[in-house]
Amino acid sequence: MILETKNLTCGYGKLPVLRDVNIHIGAESVALIGPNGAGKTTLINAITGLVRPWGGSVLFDGRDLAGQATHQIARAGIALVPQERELFPGMTVADNLALGAAYIPRAQGQEERLLDQVIRLFPILKERYRQIVGTMSGGQQRMVAIARALMANPKLLILDEPSLGLQPSIVSEVFDRLSELKKDVAILVTEQNVKESLRSVDRGYVLENGVVVLEGAAADLAKDPHVEASYLGL
Amino acid sequence: MANKRNWTVALALGAAVIGILVWRPTVLIYGLQAAGIYASIAIPMGLILGIVHIVNLAHGEFMMAASYLTYMVCRATGMDPFLALVPVAAVTAAFGFGIYKLTIRQALKAPELNQLILTFGLAILLTQAANLAFTSQTRKISFDYVSASVDIGELSFGIYNFVFVAIAVAMVVGLRLFLTRTTTGKAALAVGQNPRGAAIVGIDVDRTYALVFSLASALVGMMGAVFITRSSIFPAVGSPFTMKSFCLIAMAGVGNIPGILASSVLLGVSENFLKAFRGTRGWADIVFFVLIITVILGRSIRGKKA
Repeated sequence: MILETKNLTCGYGKLPVLRDVNIHIGAESVALIGPNGAGKTTLINAITGLVRPWGGSVLFDGRDLAGQATHQIARAGIALVPQERELFPGMTVADNLALGAAYIPRAQGQEERLLDQVIRLFPILKERYRQIVGTMSGGQQRMVAIARALMANPKLLILDEPSLGLQPSIVSEVFDRLSELKKDVAILVTEQNVKESLRSVDRGYVLENGVVVLEGAAADLAKDPHVEASYLGL
Repeated sequence: MANKRNWTVALALGAAVIGILVWRPTVLIYGLQAAGIYASIAIPMGLILGIVHIVNLAHGEFMMAASYLTYMVCRATGMDPFLALVPVAAVTAAFGFGIYKLTIRQALKAPELNQLILTFGLAILLTQAANLAFTSQTRKISFDYVSASVDIGELSFGIYNFVFVAIAVAMVVGLRLFLTRTTTGKAALAVGQNPRGAAIVGIDVDRTYALVFSLASALVGMMGAVFITRSSIFPAVGSPFTMKSFCLIAMAGVGNIPGILASSVLLGVSENFLKAFRGTRGWADIVFFVLIITVILGRSIRGKKA
């Protein structure tokens, strides 16, 4: 098991958002689906230390990360591609990518190999290598964000709504790229685009009102009447 | 954008400089010297504002405290301030680190007003502590080398204050190298641009803030040591520099460190331009306010258009 949350509870102020969430991820890709406000982003933030869990544990490689700072969790091997991308807008693609690896022990000495890998994945970044990230389009910035996360040589890659704001043709491209990655790294992805995400992952969880209501193999979930009715618009 | 602005300013300055140089060279010479002092005090404050996003209203008081420390060290050991600046900078770096950990760090999570009130309080605390320890009497150490001067034809002027120009340029170049060529510097820049994004890639944001705050404190401490060679010191000597530094940074635009140098030259030369005539001599201090109002008004109008 790479990641396992046990009875994870979390919220903002006095308002609970997640209640006793138990998910686990092995060497596979997992989708987290659910309506807006279900707590998908909060769950990711709790795993990565961006919000402090109220209770429960986040076991990563058997070590409890709950309550640790974000940078410590990143150094342990979890790379996050946040919804808002969170790049360094005034710096070049080159610097953004280099900083993705600079502070992660797992990436030390591997920078060249990792850079080759992300450029193979997103060839456009080679042309844009010296461009200031803030001057790039939203879709290109999304690619920089994914590439920066991969530069950390992560054990677990978490993507929060990777297709948000992207045009549909690029969305399937991003998912194709993610499928290529599946062999090397465990993936946890949240996605509004349920159809697209269930097609490219192994397993999924359905989160509603802060509770896991359904879990199973992606193919089974796609056929589930509740999922079909609520998310696939069938 | 910042680059384009820098070029326009540089071009306008170039034209003005040639005009003044032909007509009244001392305006330029003393203006540059004043600019050196303004810039080398403002740059560390700009570093903190650009990366930690805190207006340190105790900035000038940090320098004042370092000046008193230098005064004591030099009196006790006979050391030259240019030698004393090394231990003084080390002490102020440690002091800055302590202030960051004990106070600023706690206020970073609070609304911005809390940070302003906090550093304003620190300023008062430092000034009054200096008042208690040293009284309000001015202190001065004289050094022979300060009166070094040069005669070119009929022109005679002091050259010592060019030291500050050299310090300011060294700070700009040094900080630029640090921020663009070293991993730690790039990480600091990244934290300044997006602290959340920096934490996500494994950068320890709190440690980076502490480092930048200590570095800026060391630089302003160093300036405090050098400052004593040209001016007498008293507990309130730092506060005008806090205000001027802040306004120079506002003129340059937050995060634009070479711009601080340019705005200092503008301020220094214009002040000395007015000082060159008997009729306008008393008006020199107003230049500063006119410049800051013009720049901010100009920027607001341009912002509205955009």
